[in-house]
Amino acid sequence: MIKVEKLKKSFGANEVLKDINAHIKQQEVVVVIGPSGSGKSTFLRCLNLLETITAGHVLIEGVDITDKKTDINKIRTEVGMVFQQFNLFPHKTVLENIMLSPLKVKKVEVSKAKEKALELLRKVGLEDKANAYPDSLSGGQKQRVAIARALAMQPKIMLFDEPTSALDPEMVGEVLEVMKQLAREGMTMVVVTHEMGFAREVGDRVLFMDGGYIVEENVPNELFDNPQHERTKAFLSKVL
Amino acid sequence: MDFRFDLIMEYLPFFLRGTLYTIGISLLGVIFGTALGLLIGLGKMMKNKLLAFPFLLYISFFRGTPFIVQIFIIHFGVVPAIIGTTNGIAAGIIGLSLNSAAYIAEIFRAGIQSIDRGQMEAARSLGMTHTQAMRHVILPQAFKRMIPPLGNEFIVLLKESAITALVTVPEIMYWGRAMQGKYYRVWEPYLTAAVIYFILTLTISFLLSRLEKRLATE
Repeated sequence: MIKVEKLKKSFGANEVLKDINAHIKQQEVVVVIGPSGSGKSTFLRCLNLLETITAGHVLIEGVDITDKKTDINKIRTEVGMVFQQFNLFPHKTVLENIMLSPLKVKKVEVSKAKEKALELLRKVGLEDKANAYPDSLSGGQKQRVAIARALAMQPKIMLFDEPTSALDPEMVGEVLEVMKQLAREGMTMVVVTHEMGFAREVGDRVLFMDGGYIVEENVPNELFDNPQHERTKAFLSKVL
Repeated sequence: MDFRFDLIMEYLPFFLRGTLYTIGISLLGVIFGTALGLLIGLGKMMKNKLLAFPFLLYISFFRGTPFIVQIFIIHFGVVPAIIGTTNGIAAGIIGLSLNSAAYIAEIFRAGIQSIDRGQMEAARSLGMTHTQAMRHVILPQAFKRMIPPLGNEFIVLLKESAITALVTVPEIMYWGRAMQGKYYRVWEPYLTAAVIYFILTLTISFLLSRLEKRLATE
């Protein structure tokens, strides 16, 4: 579903991703962990071209998104993204946030878009907040709306960029619960997170990144209980 | 000191008609200046430095030279070159529009750049084009933040419009000068002009603060 080949990314002279190769299969939940500055967020942001790619290829369902002829806007409708800082549109209500892109990009009818938006709000447990503005929501509620907003485009893949890192501890659970439900429904997911419990419970595979490389990858139990690399061991000993 | 209210009363119809001209050319200046300013502001923000340069030059020129110089160039040079004769009102509207566009462009740029980068990223990640993201996500938020500086600019523009009296636009100050010339009196014409301008700027301030409050509660 996603194929990453020899991906490199530099910011000026600073090479953040040095040589990334990965293959994410349909319905797989891949969790990316690693110390800050390891390039895991940049890696995720390369998958929908929020970062320009310096070298290498990223293929989404066989389409090379680094190819200049690829319509990236079309690809992005199939790759949803959830951000650490939620990035809800503050001038629009919850319902409008969710409906905006289906209306403007996919040209869905208003009544259908609304129906779908309400259905998604039910799914994330926020039906009663449809007409609220983002400012009046808690962090956990905001993030659940952001997930609903991404799902409204009916993506085939969901990218999560540290979705719980900006939340108060008591709100982490409600967001993870929505993500678990998505995983159970068979959504293909790439999740950058510090929630090791989530990685172990939901992840099909864990990638450990450090210094711009994927240092180690394995099924969660193996990687957490029996890490092979020194750097993986050092990182896990600090966070577990 | 004798203060001749009767002279003011005599000139009041002219002042009132002048007020309409002041409001008219200022309003047109604001409308054209805002439209042009948005384009120039977006132009200056283009990533290609070469393409952005003309817009940078435009802003620098109009902010870096006195308005009276600009309006004389337009009145005695630009307008005759285009329509073959001078036309004070045309020169006044063009001058105010071009001048305010430079300031408004900077207000737009600052407003747009004050919006968190994550907003654009979220919009783009949902499949919107850059233009769609600007239109539906960035600009509506930026406009709200631009209202106070835009309000200031409108007030400045209204006051600057007094300079168009020097290119024969029959606005408030034009009649003030005419009255001074006729009666050799200073206080009556210019205090009258000052009071009218003051009422106009106070009105704008009042309307803007109402608008700000309404948007704040939305």
